[in-house]
Amino acid sequence: MEVENSFGPLDIAISGLRAQGKQIEVISSNVANARTTNAGNGEPYRRLEAAFIADGDMGGVKLDKILTDSNEFLKVLDPGNPLADEDGYVAMPNVNLPVEMMNLTIATKVYQANAAVLKRYQQMVQTTLELLR
Amino acid sequence: MVNLNANISGIQNTMKSILEQSSVQPNKNVNMPTLGNPEIKGSAFSDTVKAIDNYLSNVDDLQQSSDMSITDLLSGKNEDITSVVSAVTKADLSFKLLVGVRNKLIEAYKQTMNMPL
Repeated sequence: MEVENSFGPLDIAISGLRAQGKQIEVISSNVANARTTNAGNGEPYRRLEAAFIADGDMGGVKLDKILTDSNEFLKVLDPGNPLADEDGYVAMPNVNLPVEMMNLTIATKVYQANAAVLKRYQQMVQTTLELLR
Repeated sequence: MVNLNANISGIQNTMKSILEQSSVQPNKNVNMPTLGNPEIKGSAFSDTVKAIDNYLSNVDDLQQSSDMSITDLLSGKNEDITSVVSAVTKADLSFKLLVGVRNKLIEAYKQTMNMPL
């Protein structure tokens, strides 16, 4: 048993954990900025989306890039708001909270699945080592 | 984790002494008959022990890196928990394999020593 080879599934599971951790980070940024009317460039906050890429053949997953959602901003009628335009509308970020919550649930489940793979692989190696006794 | 490292050096000493015995003993008795080519020094067993010695330093490296990643995490140098999990799991699994091989080796040694002559 070579040291590097037997850790393959382990590294893949860890890469999955890392990727989903990044995904959860992106979702938390979206949720935190759900009402941010100024993202520093005068525009409301644009929703972010993490894109993943396969890390070679059977090498796990890695973060490709973080993309911005190009959907239109949400227009909210609020004439009294100092940020309102001449028609009384305020531009709000294109973040949809229920969608973010669904994505968060999916990311959490995938994270758990990767952790389960890691744990199960550890158990498998231990089962194999018990054959030595 | 510190205790494990102390454990490793203990195993390393045991392995070294086994290695010395296995490589020294055949050369002591010159009149002893040898199997196969007599020019090949060291038996297959001593090769195995050498391989175990190599694996031992591998395991030691993994233990050291897991130790270091834990220290980095606790001191705030590194905030990536997954890398700590990865290092600790690798160290754990390789250490378990090492212990399994060591137990098997010692068992073989005991069996050889208890052989009625």
